[in-house]
Amino acid sequence: MRRAAVVVALALVTSACSSTFGFPEGGTQQGRDIRELWTVFVLAAIAVAGVVYALIAWSLLRYRRRRGEDPDALGRQFHANVPLEVAYTAIPVAIVVALFSASLLTERRVTALDPDPATTVEATAFAWGWRFVYPEEQIEIVSPPSRPGEPGPELVLPLGEPTRVVLRSQDVIHAFWVPAFNFKRDAIPGRTTSFDLTPTHLGRFRGVCAEFCGLNHAVMTFTVRVVEPEAFEAWAREAAG
Amino acid sequence: MSARGAVGWLTTTDHKRIGILYCLTAFGFFLVGGALAGLIRAELASPGQQVVAIGTYNELFTIHGTVMIFLFLAPFGAGLINYLVPLQIGAPDMAFPRLNAASYWTYASGGLLVLLSSFATAGTGAAMGWYAYPPLSGPRFSPGVGVDLWIGGIALVAISSLLTGVNVLTTVFLMRAPGMTMWRLPVFTWNAVVTVVLGLLAFPPAVAAFALLFLDRRLGGSAFDPAGGGDPIVYQHLFWFLGHPEVYILILPFFGVITEVIPVFSRKPLFGYPGFVLATLAIGALSIGVWAHHMFTTGAVDNPFFSAMTFTIAVPTGVKFFNWIGTMWGGRIRWSAAPMMFAIAFLLNFLIGGVTGIMLAAPPLDYHLNDSYFLVSHFHYTMMGGGAFGVFAAIYFWFPKMTGRMLSERVGRLVAVGMFVGFNLTFWPQFVVGLRGMPRRVPDYPPGIGFDAPNLVSTLGVVVMSLAVLLFVWDWWRSLRRGPSASDDPWGGDSLEWTTSSPPPEHNFSTLPAIRSHRPAFDQRHPELVR
Repeated sequence: MRRAAVVVALALVTSACSSTFGFPEGGTQQGRDIRELWTVFVLAAIAVAGVVYALIAWSLLRYRRRRGEDPDALGRQFHANVPLEVAYTAIPVAIVVALFSASLLTERRVTALDPDPATTVEATAFAWGWRFVYPEEQIEIVSPPSRPGEPGPELVLPLGEPTRVVLRSQDVIHAFWVPAFNFKRDAIPGRTTSFDLTPTHLGRFRGVCAEFCGLNHAVMTFTVRVVEPEAFEAWAREAAG
Repeated sequence: MSARGAVGWLTTTDHKRIGILYCLTAFGFFLVGGALAGLIRAELASPGQQVVAIGTYNELFTIHGTVMIFLFLAPFGAGLINYLVPLQIGAPDMAFPRLNAASYWTYASGGLLVLLSSFATAGTGAAMGWYAYPPLSGPRFSPGVGVDLWIGGIALVAISSLLTGVNVLTTVFLMRAPGMTMWRLPVFTWNAVVTVVLGLLAFPPAVAAFALLFLDRRLGGSAFDPAGGGDPIVYQHLFWFLGHPEVYILILPFFGVITEVIPVFSRKPLFGYPGFVLATLAIGALSIGVWAHHMFTTGAVDNPFFSAMTFTIAVPTGVKFFNWIGTMWGGRIRWSAAPMMFAIAFLLNFLIGGVTGIMLAAPPLDYHLNDSYFLVSHFHYTMMGGGAFGVFAAIYFWFPKMTGRMLSERVGRLVAVGMFVGFNLTFWPQFVVGLRGMPRRVPDYPPGIGFDAPNLVSTLGVVVMSLAVLLFVWDWWRSLRRGPSASDDPWGGDSLEWTTSSPPPEHNFSTLPAIRSHRPAFDQRHPELVR
């Protein structure tokens, strides 16, 4: 019986550790880092919430007023317990310091810029579409007018190599979000911002505008296509020609 | 003697009547905002464009957010503060009764302007989202008069909040009854103090931002327009310097409410009163320094600093949870009472809002979660699952004091369960679609990418919640006229309002009990326990 319980508990823990808890697995190196941080945070959240819910449930059941009890009967009139209060302040401090440290380390990795990216894309958001320019390869890809259900312009990235994205906006604030990459960045007029994407999976991924930008915000979509580096070079030659 | 009937209500300077006017007006706005949410959910129930046009949809979520934040939750808290603070400290009224009336009417006029900004502007309504980011809210992209009316309305609400703040602070600092030291203030009043201090600190920069935005729009300024040398990031700093303390302005009064409710229905004193008060002050102080966690994805702020500040605020919030649990521990809990059921629902919901808030405080996770439905769900777990459930706890708790009549306990239990189930059905699926990549503020989404089922469940949840709210409104209307009479102290309360009649006389108290602790009403009932 006890052994069965241990097996079940182990199975739950292993499946919990391999689960992404609803988070996309992450189609880039950076996205995978973020997903690993997410797993840490979810497990911490489950542990904390589990303890707090258990305490609430225990209090409500154990200390409920029983049927037929004097309605004016009082509970024990204690006011405080200083060691306990110190403990329940100190333990959250420790949890928070640990989580913050993990977050800080991940943030440094995912926002780090490679000194020598494989290629660079200048992405410009506008109401309501995207322009992707590859200055080295002399390629320009522009959105057709946005319509519901259309995939929008295609951003092509080489697999396994860092691509620098230099993001701008030409009118209002937009945001570049590829949910499968677990990453977004705001495009703000008058400012330039850069980040690297290092894809780990081949395929086509949906990209959206995440910052409300007016009437056709919802259909301001684009597609990211990740291809092998050789295929990327072939595509670049053809697109530039 | 004040005038009777409608004229009496319209010209009143009595803090209790003004408090009730605030609460009624705010609850009216809750119903308006809820109806708008119903339209939003109807549109999102399935993919495709069915119920409203895109432009109308954009107005719906703009006004829904503005109404719920600025016109419902904060003013309902202000109404409770107005009604309860003088009673809880043993004062006959607020320090400046006419200023108090002016605050209410300023708020009501601001609310009217905000409604007009969308519904009466024929296609040029405010449709820029409740935080009105320029350049979208500027003259080039929102030329209509809607945004101007919205700015005027919010500015009036801000001014009203400042007037209330001055009034409440003066009242609490100068008009406490003999024996009512600051360390004996009822916890609701402590939360009221921190709430109004936050309002006094946070609203002025936001009013400056709105004024600059108006100059940009109508007088050729370019504070926030990069085309004229301005910077939209400056607006975001000013706005969130209000916007984040604002969420604590929204929630602190309701922390206060459930901290009054839980001890009374557990037949216990609050566990760790000094720690609770210090935690409230810490939340107030920290909440001034976390604003740019709304801007992690801009790449234009110091993410580690604001992230650290935001993580830190979890500690005093956690302390409060242990105060509440410690209060219930060893008690004789009457958890079938409607105010207590709403308070328990508050705890269960707010904890989810809290742990997801910790996730959003980590910038790398925010890179995926920000502006997704995960974020939408997170703040509804705090603002609605916490705040609005606190509103109902307060209504069920103080309705007998305010009106002299009881609401139905059985209907109250039904309303609590219906709202709790409906709320979680509505918002839990929104975590799921958010993680799957659904951005907020879209009227439509493609079918077959995992968004359909959660959205449908979410809409059904709103139906359940709406039925529960309508049941409440019916019971409220019925009980107001025919409910059983309430005694002066129907629950066995702790604070001074339970020692006067229900409803209290115009001057509040004919006699005051001795005040020797933060529970003078309890001490009066149980002299044998006074230490």
